[in-house]
Amino acid sequence: MKVKRTTGLSAYIPTASMADIVFLLIIFFVLTFNTDVDRASRVTLPKSMEREEVPKKAALVSIDKDRVIRISDGEETSKAVGRAEDVLSFAASIVATQPGKPIVVKADSDLPYKIVDNVIDQLKQARVNIIYLLTEQRTVKDKK
Amino acid sequence: MEKKKPDSSVFTGSIADVTFLLIIYFMVTATFSATKGLDFAVPKEKQTDIIEAEEAVDVHILPGGVFIIDKQQMPLDKLLDYVKPKLERNPNKPIIIRCDPEAEYKYLVDAFDELRQAPKKIGIEIKNISIPTQREMEVISATMGGVF
Repeated sequence: MKVKRTTGLSAYIPTASMADIVFLLIIFFVLTFNTDVDRASRVTLPKSMEREEVPKKAALVSIDKDRVIRISDGEETSKAVGRAEDVLSFAASIVATQPGKPIVVKADSDLPYKIVDNVIDQLKQARVNIIYLLTEQRTVKDKK
Repeated sequence: MEKKKPDSSVFTGSIADVTFLLIIYFMVTATFSATKGLDFAVPKEKQTDIIEAEEAVDVHILPGGVFIIDKQQMPLDKLLDYVKPKLERNPNKPIIIRCDPEAEYKYLVDAFDELRQAPKKIGIEIKNISIPTQREMEVISATMGGVF
């Protein structure tokens, strides 16, 4: 008996639009691309409801869980400094060369305040005009 | 004899591969770093007024997140209710946040954040929030005869 062969379904997947989608994704990543100058330090930021946008290329002082202090002028990758007093000379050079440039303090939330206080004091002594305390967004679920 | 026409099509088959590689590069190198925080302007020396300790609201933070406000222990969410009548009488009422050296840094941020939310929560902007450092407090204390 002759069996009639059914015509098979087309196995073709249209991929013509894939390049368009991928280009859109590339544009998204190019626009949102952000070089982090302080990748080395592992910091759990404190949380706050009120948050201001930190100016781009702001100088940075980070203090991680292990109390290691790192500094960056916002252009180059952060480097560790030995003592909190080194922050004073760093901040003074920033104030001298780029007056008005803000400095961001990125400190771990569980650090004893005296560590952060010492760094902020160095910045105040260097006459830094604006200091930012870097925070994460607090959500309604986060309990104080 | 007819001359064979050159092929005018541009080969685009590998564009998707190249763009995928670019995407992978950007995904691996991209960091969604935190770029927001609480700002505080450090007063310029000429503008600095010496705050009388009796005039200011004193927020003292102890280890473990204990808040002592004008020598009374109270939860942080009661702080704005406490300062509201004082700010209504004197909108320039200074608020001093003092943090114990051993208290965790996050509690200072909590107190500062609570005060910065005053316009939303009580409809008054707090113009004068001061976070003196330990060294500044020692200087003030020495000049004012051990207030803190």
